[in-house]
Amino acid sequence: MRTQFRYVAAAFGLTASLALAGCAAAAPEVSDSIVIDTAFTLETSDPGRNYVPTGYMVSKALYETLLDFAGSDESTPVSGLASFEANDDATVFTFTLEDGRVFSDGSAITADDVVFSLNRVAGMTESKANFLMNGITVTKIDDMTVELSTETPSLKLPALMTNPSLAILNSKLVMENGGTTDDSDAAEAFLNETSAGSGPYILDTVNFESQVVLTENENYNGEEDIDFTRVVIRNVSEAATQKINLEGDDSQVAVDLSGDQVASLSDSINVFSTPSAQTIFLLINQSEEVGGVTSNPDFANAVRYALDYPALLELAGAGSEQATGVIPPSFLGALENGVDQDLDVAAASLEASGYNGESITLEYPNDYPVGGVSFTPLAERIQSQLADAGITIELAPAPFTTQIDSYVNGTEAFSIWFWGPDYADSANFLPFSAGQKVGLRAGWTAEQDTDVVNLASAAENSTSFEERETAFSNFAEALQQRGPFVPLIVPGSNIATASYIEGVAYNSTWTMDIAELQAK
Amino acid sequence: MGNTPRATRRYSARSPLVGYLLRRLGTSVLLLFGVTIVTFALANLVPGDPIAAALGEGAASNPATVEAYIQERGLDQPLPVQYATYIGGLFQGDMGISLRTTQPVADDLAKAVPATVEIALLAIIVSLGIGVALGSLAAYRRGKISDQLVRVFSLIGLSIPTFWMALVSFNFFFLQLRIAPGSGRLSPALAPPPTVTGFYTVDSLLDGQWVTFTDALAHLMLPVFVLSLFTIGLLTRFVRTSVLEVLDADYVRAGRAKGLSGPRLLFGYVLRGASLPILTIVGLAFGTLLSGTVLVEAVFAWPGLGSYAYNSATSLDLPGVMGVGLVVGVVYLSINFAVDLLYGVLDPRVRLA
Repeated sequence: MRTQFRYVAAAFGLTASLALAGCAAAAPEVSDSIVIDTAFTLETSDPGRNYVPTGYMVSKALYETLLDFAGSDESTPVSGLASFEANDDATVFTFTLEDGRVFSDGSAITADDVVFSLNRVAGMTESKANFLMNGITVTKIDDMTVELSTETPSLKLPALMTNPSLAILNSKLVMENGGTTDDSDAAEAFLNETSAGSGPYILDTVNFESQVVLTENENYNGEEDIDFTRVVIRNVSEAATQKINLEGDDSQVAVDLSGDQVASLSDSINVFSTPSAQTIFLLINQSEEVGGVTSNPDFANAVRYALDYPALLELAGAGSEQATGVIPPSFLGALENGVDQDLDVAAASLEASGYNGESITLEYPNDYPVGGVSFTPLAERIQSQLADAGITIELAPAPFTTQIDSYVNGTEAFSIWFWGPDYADSANFLPFSAGQKVGLRAGWTAEQDTDVVNLASAAENSTSFEERETAFSNFAEALQQRGPFVPLIVPGSNIATASYIEGVAYNSTWTMDIAELQAK
Repeated sequence: MGNTPRATRRYSARSPLVGYLLRRLGTSVLLLFGVTIVTFALANLVPGDPIAAALGEGAASNPATVEAYIQERGLDQPLPVQYATYIGGLFQGDMGISLRTTQPVADDLAKAVPATVEIALLAIIVSLGIGVALGSLAAYRRGKISDQLVRVFSLIGLSIPTFWMALVSFNFFFLQLRIAPGSGRLSPALAPPPTVTGFYTVDSLLDGQWVTFTDALAHLMLPVFVLSLFTIGLLTRFVRTSVLEVLDADYVRAGRAKGLSGPRLLFGYVLRGASLPILTIVGLAFGTLLSGTVLVEAVFAWPGLGSYAYNSATSLDLPGVMGVGLVVGVVYLSINFAVDLLYGVLDPRVRLA
C-alpha cells in the first residue's frame, strides 16, 4: 500500500511542480508602457473602414483629423490638423492646414492627402463609415487649403471632421499599397499591419481578437506630449476581470467598469466617471394597429409622469444621470431638467387615454447591458412603478439579436431601448422626430406631428451656431412634452486608472484619447 | 476506375483494420456534411438581421453600403446557392468571411483553436493524472476515511460552477496571493513567439525563448486548474467505480495470490482492465473541454474557441458560428475515432479479426 501512495504522491508532485514552474515566471518590466483593458469591438485598423469604438480609440492614437475636441467638451470642435471657416449659409467650409506637420515617415501633410483621405471614404461604398461623407464635396484650393461644400446648410460638418474614420492618411504611401478613392481600394491589408498617419503613435502589432500594441511615433510634431511610449490595448471582455487586473497592477486602465464596480475600488485607483452619450428610453408605439391603447398620446403622458426617475437612476451607478430628453447632457440643445414624477397628472392622463386595465407587454433585450445598466432590473422596477399608477405590465425579455428585429421594424407596442450617436453632434438625435427612423419605429408618422417635423427641419438647416442651439432645444423640448419616447437614464462611463495616471477625458466616439494619458 | 472498388474490397478482406478505417472515414465525411447542413440551417433560422447587426445603425441606414455589403458576401443569393457556395469554399479551405471581424473565418479559427487546445490538452493530462490517482486510491481504500475524502473532493469538483470558480481563483491566486499572473496568454510586455503550432509554450521553446515559455506556462495554470476541477471530479468517480469492479475479478485475485507487486498489479492488471470505460470518459471530457471553455475563456481573457463562438453567436456572425460548429464536429468525430482505435489497442477482445 505504501508503494501505491508513492505513485499517488508522484502524480501530485508532477502537477505541483508544473504549477510552481508557472508561478516562478518573473513579471516582465513595463517601464514607459501602459496596458489598457477593454472589451474589444475591433474589425480593422484601416480608419476609413472602421466604425466601432475600440477601432476609434486605436485610430485616434495613430491618426489625426482636420478638427478635434478639447478634452471631454464635445459641444464645439477645435482645430486639429487644420483650422476652419464657414460661409454665412453654412454650406462651404474652408480648412487651412497647420504649417510644418508631418506623417510618421517624415513626409509633409498637404491638401492632396486631405482630398485623397476624405474621397477614399466617400468612394468606398462598402465601408461602414461611408455615410459620414454623404453629400460632402471635397475640393483642393491650394497645397495647404481644402474646401468642403454641401448642397444644404450643414453645421454638423465640423463635428463630422473630428471622427477618426475621416482621419488624414499619407496618400502617397497608401496609394502605393493599393489605396484608391473608389470601391477598388485594396489598402486595408496594408493598413492592418502598418499605420500611415501623423498621430502620436504608430501601429506595432495587431490581433483583432486579443490585443493591439502601439509605439511612439518618433516623427510626431503635434501638440500632444506623450508619457507612455508603448501602449498595449487588450481584449478583456469581462468587466470583473478588468477590475481584478487593474487592482493587481496587471493593467493600468480599465475602460468598461460598471458604476457598482467602481464603487468598490480601493482609494489607490483613480476613477473618471461622467455621463455617457447613450440614452436609455421607453418606446410607446403610436400606431393603433401595433399598440392599441399605447397609441393614445395620453397613455404616453401617463407613463411619463407615473415614473419615479430617481428610483430608476439607483440602478445605474456612478456617472449616470436622469435623461433630460433624447439629447444627452454633453450635446448641443440638451435640456437642463428632466421630467418629475406627478401622479395626479399621470392619473388624469391615464383616464383620458381610455386605458381599461388591460395588460401591456414591455419588451426589452435582456442580454445587453448599456453602460452597466441591465435592462431586466430596470424593466422590473418600471413594472412596479406603473403598477402603482394603475398600469398592468407584462415583461417580455429576449436576446438582443432577436429583439432588435421587432424594434427596427416598428412592431413593438411598448419597449425599452437605447440610442447612441454615430458622431459627436446633436444631429444624431433628429431621427427621433416624427416620420424619421426612430420615430417610425414608434409608429410616429410625419403627419401625426408636423410641428415636430418643422422643429427638426429648423435644427437640421440652421446656419449659425446660436440659432442651432435654440432650434435643438426646441426640438428636444417638444419631444419631451409629447413624443412617444420617455427618456429614462443616461448611463455613466467609468474609466478607472492606476493612481499615477491622469489626463483621462471621455469622448462619446473614441472613448478616450490615449495620447492624453499622463504619468503624475 | 472499374477495378478500384474490387481492389479495395480485396485489400479490406485481407486487412479488416484498413476496411474499418475506410468505413469510419466515409461515415465521418457524411457526418461532417450533416453538420454543415444543420449549422447552416440553424444559423439562417435564427431570427434577427445579421446585416443590421454587422453594419450598425449609421451604416445600415446608408443604402449604398448595405447594397455593397450584400453583393460582396452573396447574401442576395437564394439559401441553397449560398450553401453550395459555402461547401465549394470549404473544399478550398475557405470558410467564408466573418461578419464580425471581417477576417477570413479560417484565419480567425487558426488563431483561436490552438489557444483552446493548449489549455484543454493540459487540463486533460492533469485531470487524467490526478483523476486516475485519486480514483485508484479511493477504490483501494474503499470505505476508509481517504475514500470518503476523495469522494467529497470529486463531488465538490463536479458541483462548483466553473464561472464562479474562475473568478474566485483569479481573485485569490492573482490578486490576493500574487502567485499567479494576470489574464491573457502572455504578459503585456512580451510578444507572442513565431507561430509554428499556435501553442505559445511549444512555439516559445522551439524558438528558444525561455522567458516567454515560463510566462506562457504561468498564464496557463489558472485556466487549466479551473477547467480541470470538473474533469478530475468526473474521472475520479469513474476510475473508482471501474477499479472496484476489476479488483473483484478472478484474474486480479490470481495475480495477487501469485505475489505480484503493487505497481505491477495496479498498472498491468487493474488499470488495464478498467481502462475501457475510463477511455470513453476521457474522450468525452476532452471534447467537452474543447467546446465548453466559453466562461473560463471570458474570465481569463483567453482568445480561444469559446470566446470566438460566444462573440460570433451574440453578433449574428453566421459564417463564424458555422465555422465553430464545423470545428467542434471535426473534434468530436476525431476523438471518437481515436477512442475506438484505442479500444483495440487496450483490449484484444475488441480487436477486429
